[in-house]
Amino acid sequence: MQLSDRVTGGALVLLGAAAAWGGSRLPAVPGQDVGPAAFPMLIGFGLIACGVLIVLRVGRSFEVEEAPEENSGSIMARLGLRVLTPPALLLFYMLAVERLGFLLTAATMVFLGALALRASLRLAVPLAVVAPLLVHLAFYKLLRVPLPDGLLGAPW
Amino acid sequence: MEAVFEGFRLVAAPDVLIAIVLSAIYGLVVGSLPGLSATMATALLVPVTFWLSPIAAIATIITASAMAIFSGDIPGALLRIPGTPASAAYTDEAYACTRKGQPELALGAGLWFSAIGGIVGTLSLMLLAPALAEVALSFSTYEYFWLALLGLMCATLVARSSPIKAIASMLLGLLISCIGMENPAGTPRFTFGVANLLGGIEPIPALVGVFAVSEVMRAMASAEPPRLPYRKFGSILANQWQLTKKYQWPMWRGNFVGIVIGVLPGAGADMAAWVSYAMSKKFSKTPEKFGTGHPEGLVEAGASNNASLASGWVPSLLFGIPGDTITAIAIGVLYMKGLNPGPTLFTERAGSMYALYIIFILANLIMIPLGIVMIRLASRVLRAPRSAVMPVILLLCAVGSFATGNNLFAVLLVGAFGCLGYVMEKNGYPVAALVLGIVMGSMVEQSFITSLIKSDGDVLPFFERPVSSILAALTLGALLWPVAAWLWTRASPRRARAAG
Repeated sequence: MQLSDRVTGGALVLLGAAAAWGGSRLPAVPGQDVGPAAFPMLIGFGLIACGVLIVLRVGRSFEVEEAPEENSGSIMARLGLRVLTPPALLLFYMLAVERLGFLLTAATMVFLGALALRASLRLAVPLAVVAPLLVHLAFYKLLRVPLPDGLLGAPW
Repeated sequence: MEAVFEGFRLVAAPDVLIAIVLSAIYGLVVGSLPGLSATMATALLVPVTFWLSPIAAIATIITASAMAIFSGDIPGALLRIPGTPASAAYTDEAYACTRKGQPELALGAGLWFSAIGGIVGTLSLMLLAPALAEVALSFSTYEYFWLALLGLMCATLVARSSPIKAIASMLLGLLISCIGMENPAGTPRFTFGVANLLGGIEPIPALVGVFAVSEVMRAMASAEPPRLPYRKFGSILANQWQLTKKYQWPMWRGNFVGIVIGVLPGAGADMAAWVSYAMSKKFSKTPEKFGTGHPEGLVEAGASNNASLASGWVPSLLFGIPGDTITAIAIGVLYMKGLNPGPTLFTERAGSMYALYIIFILANLIMIPLGIVMIRLASRVLRAPRSAVMPVILLLCAVGSFATGNNLFAVLLVGAFGCLGYVMEKNGYPVAALVLGIVMGSMVEQSFITSLIKSDGDVLPFFERPVSSILAALTLGALLWPVAAWLWTRASPRRARAAG
């Protein structure tokens, strides 16, 4: 996900403008000059200034050039999707944990996560069985976090 | 004196001692695994601290972070992969030692001088904090505003990154801290009608996201690091006393620089190590030996990063302004446990403060035996395949963030901040500045708005009081120097051409 400074700087300008505009529409506190609008507007203008400077490549000389990523079409595309596995698994956890229960959701998450990191089945399967049980034991029994049972409750 | 005894009594409680030992082992293991930083180790500990007594909770954070900073040196020396960013400055030097067949020298120096740095840093904390507390009592919102802003600016001066991008990261953090109704007027801001955003964005899911989830994402894209060959070590501490005598002066300089950088709000162990290593090379009698497995830089930088860890607690305890990302987490825990940071902490809760000092010293003392065991076991721990460690970390991120408020929305936030952290890191935007912005946002805004209301919208009173004018000058200097440096670099080729 290496983007050019023009893209990230431009995004910051847009975000800053949105923050300043959104801030300016906040209701004022009656009888006072400064209210909830001042701070977001100040940040917004700051972001616009930073974004412009980044587009102009000011301060580029301080950066250490990162080794360019190897570019080889199809593999890059696969890697790009692979990177999104962790947030996708977290989203899955959020949506599924109430219905499936902690143990099943966590096992799926660990199993898929290990496979995405190129683990063998001989490693991924036992890991997906043992890790959720240990985490459940630590968080449910010791720390008393209310983890949902769902379809499959823990033996304790 | 009574307070000192009270401190010892608090630390001697069995739950505190058990917490110290367990978190020490945890810190050593997590710190030694490449990619898992000390900050991440601390962030994942927070849900555990909910169920501990106040002193035990603080003990886990202090011990785990100190151990993780040391044990980050282990993979650095053996694999040339720093375990934590704070070890990155001298990884090449330590690895050169290993290639010369002296891994014991590099690892022993890391351990011995980390412990010394930690203890000297603690002594500075004991001396500085109560003395500064007297001064801090007279601070008004103007001083607090400048101090908080100075902390944020220091965080942007991190080496190896464009200062403009760092300032942009910090502003982004401040903008994120605006979300919700935690503002002086109590108006919901930027919530977009989402009820879960009304309470604002908690720092913990943000921290776990940018430091842990983004690391798991990076692991997805990079190849597995090389396996560590099994290796037998000789005596680890054998030559350390000689080194201490030989490099006494660099050691003290490292301690001192570490303390100064730690006390500066916003700058932490990573920066201390970089600055100290560079200084060591500059002032050395044999700078040509640097990079060939020469212990001098290891001594200075190894002491420096651990010294900064302890002195980083000075601004945190006094003003609630984090010295680095680790104390940013610690401040949250302090508030949660009723030890609200502020100058009065040193008079009203003196016993707890002594307990904190004692824990620091204890943690640095047990670091030596436990560290030796860890070095000897390193070949085994570092063989743990990444494809087994990372999925478990991801699961802990989900459960840990859920546990902070029993709210599944936090899991979504962790994922979102993971993506944000990943994209930012890839494009040269430092994530530490973002995190400090989120943590300190409400404090900056509150002191800013209160000051503006007090001065009737006038900016002049911000510069009128003596301390606030000094702080203002420092802050503006930090803000403007990148522009000045840019103008300078643009002007100098022209001048060279004119001269030539």
